[in-house]
Amino acid sequence: MVFVAVFVIALGATTGALMSLLRPQIERYAQARVIARPAIHGLAGSAEYDAEVVARTTFATEAGLSFLHTHAEGLAPLVLLAASLVATFVGPAPARACLQALFALGCLFPLAYLVYALAVLELGRDAGIELVERAILTPLGGAAILGFAALAIALALRRRGPA
Amino acid sequence: MTPADDSTWRLPPIAVLLAAVLLVACAEIGGASMARFKLELARWARGAMLARPAVHGLVGVRDVDEPILDEALVKFDAGLRLFHMHAEGMGAVIVTTTLVATTLVRGAGARRLIVALITVGGAGYPLGYLLWSALIPRLGVESAKNTAEWLVWAPFGGAALVGLWMLTGAVAMRLVRR
Repeated sequence: MVFVAVFVIALGATTGALMSLLRPQIERYAQARVIARPAIHGLAGSAEYDAEVVARTTFATEAGLSFLHTHAEGLAPLVLLAASLVATFVGPAPARACLQALFALGCLFPLAYLVYALAVLELGRDAGIELVERAILTPLGGAAILGFAALAIALALRRRGPA
Repeated sequence: MTPADDSTWRLPPIAVLLAAVLLVACAEIGGASMARFKLELARWARGAMLARPAVHGLVGVRDVDEPILDEALVKFDAGLRLFHMHAEGMGAVIVTTTLVATTLVRGAGARRLIVALITVGGAGYPLGYLLWSALIPRLGVESAKNTAEWLVWAPFGGAALVGLWMLTGAVAMRLVRR
């Protein structure tokens, strides 16, 4: 759990630095990938229309990387602190293990945005976003939400129980 | 005093916690000031830019100058917002990662180095955005960016990255050896 959180924080910080240093290269790579898959991205051969499609898809890729950076820096420290609360305040071992597993999965949520950034290039903007949302973002984000909700309930029950 | 036990978090040095808390406090003050003094800040930046037409490529024709001024003001505002966001985020990152380093990194030298790199790098890096914003009216967008890059982002951001990856390696080694 601690390793996952520290790894995600380091990856998020590195992504931010790389995005700043390699912005033109990332943009060129994204544009080239879109142009190389005209059918998937629905390019029509009209310069004006195609330029808009390329720009929108490139923007989605950059947004994915940006979300990876911000979510990794924001969510991983929170998950680490929440997992510490679980270790401290949640008594039964199975419940503790279950919550830690949920938080470990939730901590991987920011990595889904890396897949998002690549999926929009490889599968098309709408298909890529839909697939990643359904298959990765929702389950991992759901695990984090479930973990935080269960922790809140565990803390509330503890408060109501005997001292 | 916290016991030297893997199952209990050990507190990082108070100076580290103080740096992180101060950073978060500065972020909050920055965010509040941006909202409270938005007009005053924009007026100051615009006035400083108009006083340096050559730096910003202003030619004295309204239709040409206004888009240039608008773009520079957007960047000026973005720098302040990025300072607010990064200072808040890095404050939390400093607290959590130095907590992990203080608890899990065995060698005293490596532990001190990691904690120092993350604290100094993490606390210094967001200030680059403040510097960038402050320099835009005087140096222009690109010159200000280059100055902030070399003076703050590269050295402090680099230090934080090295510290974070050293910590990741140290935790991974602990995991493998267990």
